[in-house]
Amino acid sequence: MTPDPDEDGFDAGTLGETIATDPIIRGTDVVKEYETGGQIVRALKGVDFSIAPADFVAVVGPSGSGKSTLLNLLGLLDVATSGEVRLRGEDVSTFTDREQTRKRKETIGFVFQSFYLIPTLTALENVEMPRMLDRTPTKTRERATQLLERVGLGDRLDHYPDELSGGQKQRVAIARSLINDPDILLADEPTGNLDRDTGDQILELFDELRSDENVAVVTVTHDDYVAEAADRVVTLIDGRIRDTESRRANFEEGPDP
Amino acid sequence: MSLLRRLTGRFPSVVIARRNVSRARTRSLLAAAAIMIGVVAIAGIGAGGAAFKQSQLDRIQEQGATNVYVSPGFDKEDRHFDRTDLMRIDETVGGAGIVATESRSMEYRRRSNRERGVSVTYLDDPRRLYDVAAGEIPKNWRRSAVVSREFAADNDLEPGDRIVLAPETDEDETGEFRAYRVTAVLAETQAFGVDQVYLPIEATGDRQYGQVRITTQSVEEAEAAATALREEFNGRKDTLIVFELTSLVRLFTSIVNGINLFLAGLGSLSLLVAGVSIANTMLMSVTKRREEIGVLRAVGYSKVDILRILLVEAALLGAIGAGIGIALALLVVLAANAIFLGSPFAFTSGSLLYLVGAVVFGIGTSLVAGAYPAWRAANERPVEALRG
Repeated sequence: MTPDPDEDGFDAGTLGETIATDPIIRGTDVVKEYETGGQIVRALKGVDFSIAPADFVAVVGPSGSGKSTLLNLLGLLDVATSGEVRLRGEDVSTFTDREQTRKRKETIGFVFQSFYLIPTLTALENVEMPRMLDRTPTKTRERATQLLERVGLGDRLDHYPDELSGGQKQRVAIARSLINDPDILLADEPTGNLDRDTGDQILELFDELRSDENVAVVTVTHDDYVAEAADRVVTLIDGRIRDTESRRANFEEGPDP
Repeated sequence: MSLLRRLTGRFPSVVIARRNVSRARTRSLLAAAAIMIGVVAIAGIGAGGAAFKQSQLDRIQEQGATNVYVSPGFDKEDRHFDRTDLMRIDETVGGAGIVATESRSMEYRRRSNRERGVSVTYLDDPRRLYDVAAGEIPKNWRRSAVVSREFAADNDLEPGDRIVLAPETDEDETGEFRAYRVTAVLAETQAFGVDQVYLPIEATGDRQYGQVRITTQSVEEAEAAATALREEFNGRKDTLIVFELTSLVRLFTSIVNGINLFLAGLGSLSLLVAGVSIANTMLMSVTKRREEIGVLRAVGYSKVDILRILLVEAALLGAIGAGIGIALALLVVLAANAIFLGSPFAFTSGSLLYLVGAVVFGIGTSLVAGAYPAWRAANERPVEALRG
């Protein structure tokens, strides 16, 4: 939680911000504790991670192993108790709540297991939702339409969530997560509520997005076949990374060029 | 993208809030209905009361609230005014017109053996107080009588007829009867204290006056004249008894205002209940939408954004209730205006103030009631909300 101001300038200098292969977000010896029922639970016990553009990382592990906690830290929804998380070289623990929210909006897209679409909004409006307060309605609508067409729902723009199938809902959710052109897509069990075929479509979509838009995808999953589709699989057990299976790069050491 | 869309794009919080309000339609309507009742109570009672007050004030005004009546005080030895007193009074009140009168009781003989008491007012010139309906008062009025319209009607009198009057003496005996020719009949007035028969002041024989009436143009002038008289004459001794309807008007106004405020206060109690209802509705709504709000926070809505959306939502509930409420209250006020003031559109500034105040109060209550649920929802950590 407490940042070291001396290190701040030093690291920002060495990491740089413009080189594409530099990690978008990097964590060093990250520990996360939280309190439940008067007890302090250590969800992450010193984890290193690094996500580079167009990565596809699957985080697997038994429930309670700290997967969601890791995803929350990556998504700037939470701050590490100790250790360091740097977003493009900036220590995220120095962000105010407002800055954190803004960075989250600019950098991160979220996809949830239960989709979390807003039932009173149409598919198109759900996709527009993250930018609704920006007062650029025409631009936002263009982009949202484009994204829905991109995920194959160009003919469902005005449907409400309860008029869509599970796969369609998840595709709307993915379109929503892309509206602000994020660098990382964080997906929490994105296929958990979908059948295999629909899940495959979602994974294909992820691949397309990575190659076309250079978006990194980090997904927490129980499904082996999702893990198989990933470049790297990080296994978390009891708050520690036990096993990294990599086809392209080592998770802890950052990606290869 | 139509104009509507571009317009709503400018106020996204309102769009979001509107959809959320229509999501739980029954619950929203019930909450809005509570506000509506409060608004109707405040606006209806307040504005109706204002109309009633205005009607009563108008009536008092007609009764002569612009007049000040002065009679000799307890410390005045003579118990009547003479010429010198009149001049002093005239000087004190400045530009206001003064009319000095002397009232006495007389016996009026209708036929040879039927007599009854009448009140007679001696004065210089009745035209300074009343309009003449029939006949004419001569410029140099010294002998003839002027009668009120009521007296003329009761006794079947016309200008030119004769009436026979005798002064009442102290020992319950009647003085000598004398005949007067009726020279004029006065127009009907609503003014307070119209006597029946008027005779020239010369007819008293002693030129003494029992009362002075000061006629001004407005209630404020009357009040100023009364104050000036009290200061001038009633320093240490009570030389004058000054009576003005203005003090009555003030008393009446303060009583009615007090009652009105009390009733409107009771009305606001219902608005308080409405506030509780709105708070409850909003609290249920944000609890139900906990995850949704978590998503909003996750995709980049700040705490302030959430706070604003929810406050707009509460205000919208209040505005719906206040809107329907004010329409109903308007009907009530139109009826009250028609009953008390003769025209449904005779809005007084007081009633308009109550109408506007009720709307402001209604929406304000909703905002205050929505503040805690909104604050709670905005401060919920998205991580907690999304844990499922």
